Parts: sequence; structure tokens; C-alpha cells
Amino acid sequence: MIHIDDILKELNLDLKDAWAGLLRRKVRSLLGSLGITIGVVAMVAMLSIGEGAKQKALDRIASLGLHTVRVEDAREGVGITNLSYGLVLADTKKISAWLGDRGSVGFFSRAANIATYNNQQKGLSTVLGVNPEWLKAEKWSVANGRPLLPEDMVRQSRVCLMGVKIASDLQVSVGSSIRLQNVPCVVIGIMVAKGRLLTEGTGLSSLDFDNTVVMPWRGFPFAKVVANEPILDGLLVTLRKIPEKEIIPIAKQIEEIIQVSHRSVKDFSMVVPLKLLHKVRETQNLFAWVMVSIASLSLLVGGIGVMNVMLANISEQTREIGLRMAIGATKKRIVSLFLCHSLLLTLSGGIMGSLLGLLAALGIQWLAGWEVAFSGVSLILGPVSAGVTGLLFGIYPALRAASLTPARALRES
Amino acid sequence: MALLLGKKLKRTYQVGTQLVTALATVSLEVNSGQFLVITGPSGAGKSTLLNLLSGLEQPSEGEVLFNGACLSTMNETKLANIRNAAFGFIFQIPHVLPHKTVLENVALPFQYGGLSNASQYMDQCLEHLEYVGLKKLGDRSPNTLSGGELQRLVFARALVRDPQIIFADEPTGSLDAANSKLILELLKEQAYKGRAVVMVTHEKEAMAYGSDILKLDKV
Ligand SMILES: Nc1ncnc2c1ncn2[C@@H]1O[C@H](COP(=O)(O)OP(=O)(O)OP(=O)(O)O)[C@@H](O)[C@H]1O
Ligand SMILES: [Mg+2]
Repeated sequence: MIHIDDILKELNLDLKDAWAGLLRRKVRSLLGSLGITIGVVAMVAMLSIGEGAKQKALDRIASLGLHTVRVEDAREGVGITNLSYGLVLADTKKISAWLGDRGSVGFFSRAANIATYNNQQKGLSTVLGVNPEWLKAEKWSVANGRPLLPEDMVRQSRVCLMGVKIASDLQVSVGSSIRLQNVPCVVIGIMVAKGRLLTEGTGLSSLDFDNTVVMPWRGFPFAKVVANEPILDGLLVTLRKIPEKEIIPIAKQIEEIIQVSHRSVKDFSMVVPLKLLHKVRETQNLFAWVMVSIASLSLLVGGIGVMNVMLANISEQTREIGLRMAIGATKKRIVSLFLCHSLLLTLSGGIMGSLLGLLAALGIQWLAGWEVAFSGVSLILGPVSAGVTGLLFGIYPALRAASLTPARALRES
Repeated sequence: MALLLGKKLKRTYQVGTQLVTALATVSLEVNSGQFLVITGPSGAGKSTLLNLLSGLEQPSEGEVLFNGACLSTMNETKLANIRNAAFGFIFQIPHVLPHKTVLENVALPFQYGGLSNASQYMDQCLEHLEYVGLKKLGDRSPNTLSGGELQRLVFARALVRDPQIIFADEPTGSLDAANSKLILELLKEQAYKGRAVVMVTHEKEAMAYGSDILKLDKV
């Protein structure tokens, strides 16, 4: 009959005994677990860096919106052609018509401009001519005042919304009349702070929302016009009620529609954030494999070190093992004692490695400026894998200790 | 029924290609209250016989019966439990765990059997330390003890589980006359109390304590 209670009591005794044994040879124990410690440091540091990179990528994707497709003007790349004028209003109408109620198309035209208020304060800002759908798609709302309304589009009124930073730079408030170059314009709202659009690495142009002035697109005074057609700088398609797996085919269709209307001139670029997400996952997987290989290799090396220490301990303690057996220790208890020994050795190495790994990751963040993030998994994984290594590499020494007959062990000098 | 019975015990060792006989065939019987002294010239197999009788190793031929149960055919756990609960051991060199205190060393048998509650057995251990005159040294490290004190510590440890048989292999071999006498008196007292004592010695003074003598000859 097996009593769990008794087993736990015995395990408790062996753990205490093994811990005391570890402390007997402090330097040897420390050196023996050093390999494991270093392995776990590397593992935790790498996981934290990987996690940081992933977090950054996910933030970027969240900023771009997972259910969106972004299209930008790229005429510069193809040079002047009269086959296509670039992104135009007709494109948005075609896409809108094709999407129906599956989504909406926001768009903008962009110009850099100097905003003036009271002929004094000047601020360099981006001025966008947008449709109301664009504001909705960017989830950018008004903090003070009123939003753009469809009437503003119809009336072509000279009104604008201001980002919080440019507004405070110019010290304007709702109702103020500012000048953009020579165009007077009434501020109808101040937007909520939104920071930047995280476009880094996507090929999209960046946008500092808080330093942006937004006007209704119709009648936008700074639109680039080619052959009487105002050119759009970007489209922002928002998909609604579309399952994730259909996003990429729909993006493909949208690309097709634009391609056809541009007579196959590739004068636009398209970014599908979902694709970025897939790429992040792929990179993460690859990274995980590299990680696992490096970590297993260093744990292997660490494990061999631990085995070495255990064999040295055991040959040194042969007579003590004989004594324990003589006074009633079964082979099982001898195995248990030395497995506890190697487990504690590696576990303490692993815990130390986890802590040092955190410090190393923080150090890397501080020195190299890489973002790091700590996942609970990495902190637990370190000691756990160290402990497993200890058990695996402790088996052989422990079995060897238990293989002696008590008489043989006691005779050993 | 005899407490301990050795039937035609023989032990050989394979050394390289040679078969070395460590102990030629011996039969013997040990009973409660008996103080059996085993003696003989060096290399006669005294220690080997003691190891066989106490289940520290197995005979090449013959068998050992403890209370009628055969030690060589029982499983390893059962044999270990008998050594733990029914046998006490004293060796020529006092074997101790140097990283534990004197008291912890005396309590070591309880780590492998008997009462699992430390508060219960620690009192017993202290009593036994007092019995061998080491009560004040319980917290010390064994490394700080003299040879005589160490052997007394071992004696206390051998008694702590209230064994039926005490096995002593030259327990006075490394002690001075005064300490030897002390240990021998203690052994004699234990035999008087009803335990069986099996002691290996080649010292005349020690032999005098035995109630029976078994003399082994060199093989
Ligand atoms: N493991 C072993 N392998 C080979 N030979 C052994 C082994 N153990 C004991 N012997 C041999 O068996 C013989 C008896 O040994 P044992 O230790 O029993 O003698 P002893 O009577 O106790 O001697 P002493 O008085 O010197 O202690 C010796 O010749 C010894 O060399
Ligand atoms: Mg001997």
C-alpha cells in the first residue's frame, strides 16, 4: 500500500537533507550550477527581448487596425504617365460600391503647411483633407467642439479640426479663426490626443495626429490636381463583420479594383495589417525555435556540469551512503536523496538565472534601446527547465549511488 | 526458534579471474541475551560474516534467518526495514554524517523508519545521548568530538530504534583502554537487558565480555 502522506514526509526529509548537503560544498555547488544559471540567463533574456519585439509589433498592428486595408499613393516610384493619375475619388467610389455594407472607405489628401493664428503664433503642421469616414476609421474623436459633418463636405466650408499639440502651440480654441498659408479657416473642434500612427517598418507614411489640422476634403484648398482631378494621398478601408480569414482575399480584390481603374499602373502601395500579424507570428515561431535550440544546448552543457558535481559528491560520500543503507535507507531513498540534491542544485541555479536574466534584459534595454517585455512564462520556464535538467542528469549519479551494496560502500576508503 | 540463524554461510569474491574465498562455510545461532564474540586472525572473514548476518551483503551459499525469515530472499525494502528497526550497528571507524549535529546523527535512523514526528523521537534521542554520556554535546558537530565520544555517539544511534540485535565490528579497535572498557560495559549491559550482541574482536580483554566465542580460522 502506498501512502501519499508518508511519501511526502520522506520527500520533505530528503529535500532538507539534500539542501544541507548542497551547503556543505558551497563553492562546488555554485560552480556546478553555474552552467545552468548562465543557460537560464540567456533563455530569460532572449525570451524578454523576443517578447518585447512581439509587443512592439502587436502595438503597431493595433495602431493600424487589424480590420483595415491601407492604400497610399506611390506615383513617385513609377514616374509620370498619362495612363493613370494616381488615387482618385473614382477609386473610392468603386471600392465602396463593391464592398456595399461590408465596409467603408475613408480617404485623405495631405499637405504640409504653416498654420498662423493672430498673425503671431506659427506652427508647422500636416494638413489633411479628409472625409468623415476617415476620422471614424482612425477612431479619432473630437474632445472639444463638434466633428466634421456631411454638410461641411457639401458646403465646402472652410472649417478645420486641430490636433491637440498644434492647437496648444498656436493657443487656439474652438471658434478661433486661423490661417493656413493664406486660407482662413475656423476651428470647429480640438481632437483628443492620439499620438502617432505606428507605421515604422510598414512602408506607410507616418502621421503625427496631434500635430495635424484636418479639413473637409471637398474644397480642400491644398489638393494636388492632375487634369482637373484632385489626387488622393491615401485610402483607409475599414471592414466590418468580416471574419479574419476573409480579410486578405478582400484586400486582394480591392487591389484588383484599383489596379484595373489605374490601367495596371502600379502607382499605389497597399498594407494589410493582418498580413503583418501573420509575419509577426512567423518570426515569433522562428525565434522560438532558435531560442529552444540555444536554451537546450546550454542546459545540456549545464546538465553535464551538474552530473559531474553529483558524481564527485557521490564518490566522496560513498561511506556515508553505506551508513545510510546500513541503518535502513532503501535504494529508493538513496535515489530520492541524490535526485533532490541535483534538483535543488539546478533549481537554485535556475531561479538565480531567472533573476539575473531579468537584469540582463533590463541592461540590454538600457544599453541597446531594444524594447523588452517580461512574460510570466519566461520567468517560470527558466527554473522549471533547469529543474527538469537536474532530474534528467541526476538520474545516472543517483542510480550509481544506490547500486552499491551497503557492505561495499562501507568498505570504501 | 533461534533469533538469528546462519546456515552453511559461505562468501566468495570474484577478483579478476580468481575466485577468492572470504569466508569458508560457517553455521551459527544467536539468541536474545546472548553476547557472541567472533574472533580469529586478520583476513579470516570476521567482518564478512558479520556483514552476512546483518544483511549488509548476501552470502554466496547458505542463508541467514532472522526470526525465521530468510534475509537473502526477501526484497530490498523489507531487508532495509529490518536493518532499520531490528538491528543496531557499530563499526571500527565511527561512521557519521559530518554536516549534521551530534543529535541529528543519533536521530538518523528515524529518517528511514519508525516515528515520523520529530517531536516524538527527539526525546528518545536525547535520552540515549544521556545514556552514553553525551547529553551536553547534542548541538555540536561530530567533527569536534574525540574518537571515544564519536564511538559513543554511534552507540546511541545503534540503540535508538530499540533493536533486537547489535552488530559490532571491532568497536574498540581504535579506542584507548578507558573508552574501550566503557563501550564493552555498555554492550554487556545491552545483552543483559535482553538484546543479542554479536561482536567481532581480536582483543583478549574484549573477548572476556562474551558469553560465547566463535573462532574463525584463516581460509
Ligand atoms: N569485496 C571484496 N573483494 C575481494 N576480497 C574481499 C572483499 N571483501 C573481503 N575480501 C577478502 O576476504 C577476506 C576476509 O575479509 P574480512 O574483512 O572479512 O576479514 P577480517 O577477518 O574482518 O579481517 P580483519 O581482522 O583484518 O578485519 C580477506 O582476505 C579480504 O581480502
Ligand atoms: Mg574486519
